[in-house]
Amino acid sequence: MSKKLKIYFICGAGLGSSLASQMVAEDVLNSLNLDESLEHEAISSAPGLRTDIIVSAENFKSQFEKYELDPAIKFVFLHNIVDPKEIEDKLVPVINALSN
Amino acid sequence: MGVIDFIINNILTQAAITIALIAMLGLVLQRKSAGSVLTGTFKTLLGFQVLSAGSAIIVSSLTYFGKIFQHAFHLNGVVPSIEAINGQAMNTLGLGNEIAFTFLGIFIVNILIARFSPWKYIFLTGQALLWMATMTVVGGKLAGLSSFVTVLLGSIIGGIFAVAMPAVAQPFVRKITGNDAIALGHFCTIGYMVEAGAAYVFGEHGENKHSVEDIKLPKSMEFLQDTYLSVAVIMVPLYMITAAFAGPKWAGTETTNYIMNAFMQGIQFVVGVYVLLAGVRLLLGEIVPAFRGIAMKLVPNAKPALDCPVLFPYAPNSVILGFITTTIGTVLGMFLMPVFGLAVILPGMLTNFFAGGTAGIFGNVVGGRRGAIIGGVIHGLFITLLPALLVTALTGLGFVNASATDSDTIVAALMYAWILAPILKAV
Repeated sequence: MSKKLKIYFICGAGLGSSLASQMVAEDVLNSLNLDESLEHEAISSAPGLRTDIIVSAENFKSQFEKYELDPAIKFVFLHNIVDPKEIEDKLVPVINALSN
Repeated sequence: MGVIDFIINNILTQAAITIALIAMLGLVLQRKSAGSVLTGTFKTLLGFQVLSAGSAIIVSSLTYFGKIFQHAFHLNGVVPSIEAINGQAMNTLGLGNEIAFTFLGIFIVNILIARFSPWKYIFLTGQALLWMATMTVVGGKLAGLSSFVTVLLGSIIGGIFAVAMPAVAQPFVRKITGNDAIALGHFCTIGYMVEAGAAYVFGEHGENKHSVEDIKLPKSMEFLQDTYLSVAVIMVPLYMITAAFAGPKWAGTETTNYIMNAFMQGIQFVVGVYVLLAGVRLLLGEIVPAFRGIAMKLVPNAKPALDCPVLFPYAPNSVILGFITTTIGTVLGMFLMPVFGLAVILPGMLTNFFAGGTAGIFGNVVGGRRGAIIGGVIHGLFITLLPALLVTALTGLGFVNASATDSDTIVAALMYAWILAPILKAV
């Protein structure tokens, strides 16, 4: 068992939709027996984050590009941030790549 | 009896403890490990105290702003901010305990309605529920109800809103997302219906309908999606301009230049919002998933009603356009309300972005470009009118320079003030 990955879910205020996305992702990961550490935050706090993966909505993509984040952080941008299938398709490959 | 008295007077009257115990209950019911229960309960307790600290910062900044606005324009300028109202109600007015119990009660009533009616909506936007709990408790106090009745009635009214608002919005949400998997859980829905109605009347129809999504908007507007930045962009200049009119005597201190002082006070307001919402994040991070786990078990085919930004990726242009048009409407409203003898309501940037942006999506889907633009301005006027109607009642209770935002919570409070209170007085 490798070290848990840290995954941050980001939205405008870091309250509602990031938490909603995090809860769906938790279900998806549980069903695949993946146990990672999930948190949610506001985009204002993103530049200082120490994390392995950042998950956010497509409309935030250009803002993340303006920040100089740690190049090791992997990004996952979602169209429907609460769609379990989209989360599985886009997030799980990134987790698997980092865990190996 | 000494032990029971101690528990009632020292533990159950501490709102932070009450809400931490509610979180603990949720975690235990989900059979989480002892470690998770402990950390979850502690985080909730910490969240409440962080929220209080943020509230204190906001109040001190708003007190300053109220003073300089009064001397600058000889008018009362009211900042619409549900966060400020919640903070003041929880701390200054000591209603935290009632709000915590109402919050729990709304969860329970929501689950009961969803379980036994065809409307399977489970409202999962925690902060919106907290604002609704706040406003029903404030409403109960306005009507002069006892704490017990306030909590009971607030739970029922809040629970009904928690199911009814997603149900009303669902036909539009289906059109926006193209499926029926998610619902909208955000207590600004009456405002969205106003925008949708205006867009229907004034908007484009049939072949003439052009979606806002087909036009290119400047990328430079996108930073407004950063909540705290967009609050700062408006609040800081607002403080500085007001200080310029008020002059050094009122806006400055003995050692600091008055414009500089206003600048720092404006920043302090944003800091307060930041700290308060960080507290809300800690407070709800454990309770909401627990509620979701319990609700999904008890209600078959439950449909989660989620916070408005889940719709933003479907229509990013409409969000920006909705924000701009709503802001224009709120600025017009600021000048218009005093003409009708109402208070001056300053534009509330948090709600202009989230509610305005979502309303823009509704306007665009109903009435295309023209619908979104005209509907947005009317939405801005509407969400300025509501807090203006509420101001007198709130000031009477002791709130400082603030009124609520989020149309549905104001409508709930106005129901207390205009319908319930007169009935109780007549009886």
